[in-house]
Amino acid sequence: MNTRAVGYELVVFVTQWGLMLLGFGMLTKFVAPLNLLNPGLSLGLYFDAGAKALVALVLSVTWLFIWDRQVRLYFHRRAR
Amino acid sequence: MASLGANTIAILIALGSFPVSLALTRFFMYWNSKHGIIGIDVHKLNRPKVPEMVGVAVPITLVLFAAMYAMIGGASSIPLLAYSLVVGLDALVGALDDRLKMRGIFKPLLTLLCGLPLLILGLAFPGQVYTSTLHVPLFGGYHLPVIYPLTILVAVSVTSNTVNMLDPLNGSMAGGISIVAGGLLIGSILIGAGSTPIFLYASLMFSLLGFLYFNRFPARAFAGNVGQLSIGASVGALAILGRTEIASIVAIFPNIQNSFFFLSRIRRFTEHRELTSKPTKLLPDGRLADSEDPRAPLTLVRTLLIGRPATENEIVSTIWMLFLTSTSLAVISLLLTGVLL
Repeated sequence: MNTRAVGYELVVFVTQWGLMLLGFGMLTKFVAPLNLLNPGLSLGLYFDAGAKALVALVLSVTWLFIWDRQVRLYFHRRAR
Repeated sequence: MASLGANTIAILIALGSFPVSLALTRFFMYWNSKHGIIGIDVHKLNRPKVPEMVGVAVPITLVLFAAMYAMIGGASSIPLLAYSLVVGLDALVGALDDRLKMRGIFKPLLTLLCGLPLLILGLAFPGQVYTSTLHVPLFGGYHLPVIYPLTILVAVSVTSNTVNMLDPLNGSMAGGISIVAGGLLIGSILIGAGSTPIFLYASLMFSLLGFLYFNRFPARAFAGNVGQLSIGASVGALAILGRTEIASIVAIFPNIQNSFFFLSRIRRFTEHRELTSKPTKLLPDGRLADSEDPRAPLTLVRTLLIGRPATENEIVSTIWMLFLTSTSLAVISLLLTGVLL
């Protein structure tokens, strides 16, 4: 077993896990309770859900970007 | 105690999936070899011929045991029916891909449709298949009446395809997902989940172990897309049925990393067989090494080989250790679901 690789991946996984919980926490505490559009309006419920999904998408892309940078930093410095 | 009894019975029934999967794997090894359904193990110097599509033993076992559990009245038949349909449809897509060699884009598109039974049965029988509340570790949960049902389709497609993409070496997928299923089974027991997800996680783990017996190094059976896609679909469907959505994402971190780096370099859905630049190469001594080709995808296996060639066995052990790490974090996530900040 490649213990060095497992060690690096452990750092990556724990960091990404922490960031993921933080991101879901932000969505739960701050984004989900917001009423961006009046649900009484025609399609208001759907636009509200769409806007919140967009916020979640931005957070997911940021999360993957950080993952990408970490793996490149630990493993692919020489490859670049 | 009643719950403990139901869970014990569920696990004991699921234990039967190990010998059934083992026997079915052995049967399909023989049948597929006889009918010329074979692949070549390209990571060995002598390039042995190995029966392909033998992973079909796993979805057959899963569906068989889900039906049996429903018939003996172990649980409501609606979630078990939804689960069986998702696994069966994904196996069908996988079998079509194995036989017809479809273009890379078709698999994610077709597997999107495979989540429909969960969605339709969930809408027809509210509360029996899924609840639209996402439980977040440490932060409580929130209701997603519009987004959650749509996410089901994406979830099944993503888990199917990401599991499909991380099976390059003998036993890497079967062993890795056994660890995931085992960890989520333990987590589900610890948080007092219902007997249905406990039964399904146990039957997934035991049927994978049955297949792994022949798929481990040196492999005498290959899963094929039929096995990989249906096993991935099983993980996705169980995340919904067992309310283990976030924990399941954490458990499959090695798959997510592999798929993300593959797609970020290739920038399109494609098959491994269509790649002109290979991520790894076989050395004359039988070890695997990084191909050092800048156009090749940065797969998980390539990442583990940078600057250090290794034997296939060593790489698979490392991958299993990564799954053990991510699954441990997944179990902690499940335990934290009930804890509020």
